[in-house]
Amino acid sequence: MAVALVVAAVLREGGHDVLLLVIGAAAVAVIVAGLVLRWSGALALGVALLGAQQATRLALGPDALDEATPLVAGALLLAAELAWWSIEPRIPAWAQPGVAVRRVLTVFSTCVAATVVSAVVVVAAGARVGGGTLLLLTGVVAATAALGVLAYVARRSP
Amino acid sequence: MTRAATPKLGAYAALAGTGLLTALVLGRPELAALATPFAVVLAAGLSLAEPPRVRAWLELDRERQVEGEEVTAHLELAAESAVPGLELLLDLPDGVESLGENPQRRHLDWDDRPEIELPLRCSHWGAYLVGELLLRVQDRFGLLAFEQRLDLRRPLKIYPRGDELEKLLRPLETQTFAGMQTPRSRGEGIEFADLRPFVPGDRVRRVNWRATARRGEPWVNETHPERNADVVIFLDTFAEARHGASGTLDLAVQAAGSLVGHYIREKDRVGLVAFGGILNWLTVSSGVVQLYRVLDSLLDAEIFLSYAWKNIDVLPPRTLPPHALVLALSPLLDERTVRALADLRARGFDLAVVEVSPVPFAEPGTGPLDDLAYRLWVLRRDALRASYLRLGVPVVEWRKDLPLQAALEEVRTFRRHARVVRA
Repeated sequence: MAVALVVAAVLREGGHDVLLLVIGAAAVAVIVAGLVLRWSGALALGVALLGAQQATRLALGPDALDEATPLVAGALLLAAELAWWSIEPRIPAWAQPGVAVRRVLTVFSTCVAATVVSAVVVVAAGARVGGGTLLLLTGVVAATAALGVLAYVARRSP
Repeated sequence: MTRAATPKLGAYAALAGTGLLTALVLGRPELAALATPFAVVLAAGLSLAEPPRVRAWLELDRERQVEGEEVTAHLELAAESAVPGLELLLDLPDGVESLGENPQRRHLDWDDRPEIELPLRCSHWGAYLVGELLLRVQDRFGLLAFEQRLDLRRPLKIYPRGDELEKLLRPLETQTFAGMQTPRSRGEGIEFADLRPFVPGDRVRRVNWRATARRGEPWVNETHPERNADVVIFLDTFAEARHGASGTLDLAVQAAGSLVGHYIREKDRVGLVAFGGILNWLTVSSGVVQLYRVLDSLLDAEIFLSYAWKNIDVLPPRTLPPHALVLALSPLLDERTVRALADLRARGFDLAVVEVSPVPFAEPGTGPLDDLAYRLWVLRRDALRASYLRLGVPVVEWRKDLPLQAALEEVRTFRRHARVVRA
């Protein structure tokens, strides 16, 4: 999945293939190292490098909004989920068809839902709304609320 | 139930935060869209995470077992909701080892009640509580780990495994109750002792007709009565020599367990004195109940460091009954035990010392001075044994690679040739 993301990014960008290829190769190498060593930190770095490759592509590319971003975001999440699944300890129960299928469905449905949310973000970014104090205030409130929600669910005791 | 973040939670939070920050810095909303899935997973995972509701029951197939044998732990689980990837760890004490998969991971559905059988090896004698169960499970997104420690402890007594003994050490004098010892005195019994002329009052059934026919006058058989004996196991718990998992106290406890079992089997009365930092005693008695009483007391035997001087005056008088055989198991490392044993002999007790040798547990140093010190120490131990022999106390060095029977036989040989002198 990571290789597919790298190749897609290189193929879609016309001018800076070598740079994108280097970043992508580094990402794949780090992810492979993380899988071999079963080290979560390397996986995080690898996924971050994949994101950095996309950021480089966007920064060096045209200013127009990239409409394929939600798909890339979903694929990036899928790569991350599969990578972390790979380093989990093996248990015999995972070999049971029902359990494995349920797990696969959970991962894929999460990725699909995340892709939809990402698409909403892209659509919202592309919408032409007038700037101003009200919009700025809305953004600040939204960011604060998002942080508050995350903090609340994080500290909630079981 | 405790909750902790997994590395994945930190990684996803870092990815989401970095993506959103980079989107702000570069002014590209696509990067925020790239970070959004990770933020979505974080929000969903943290809000939907529920601690697993798992109940467990534990039973051991037996509460008592001998060292080296196996016990099976029956663990039953019940989940009120599906629990994927449940990690189980039966936290075992030092003297108990797992022969099965421990820890293990399982998938539980909501209606599952799996029964797990975990074979355990009783590797070291002692009294233990077995059954502290550690449950660990991650939420469905792998962001949080829930841990729960269930106290399902059950008592398990592991008795020391002793040697099989063919012949026991006999006391010089027996008691008045019936048993399996043959005293020197003569009386009503079945063990033949001698012949003597018939005297009025002798029962006819005692007449030895063959001797009577040969001598022309009535002769009768004399027999030894069957008596029991009092034996007190004197266990030295002041000090021990230890190397790794094995020590002189372990050997002494194993020997004591073996001796107690054999003496009780022969209908003798057995008592115990654990003479050390903590004084522990059991007055002499016989029977299976006394056997388990002594074995349970042996399980409590431990070295308790103490600098307080003690002699045998601290013992209650009934713990050392008259004419009892006092069988001491000691590494003879502590001066208090050495003096106490000599004191027992001076008070006329029938004493035998099995020295659980600390020499195999002490390695000589590498330098010449270390070697000299080691040799001097071994010589001092020889001198100590010689001083006991001069007092008329049989003392034998017993090493862990020798059978206990050999040590007892050495004591028997000494006692066969030694004379009892009473002032």
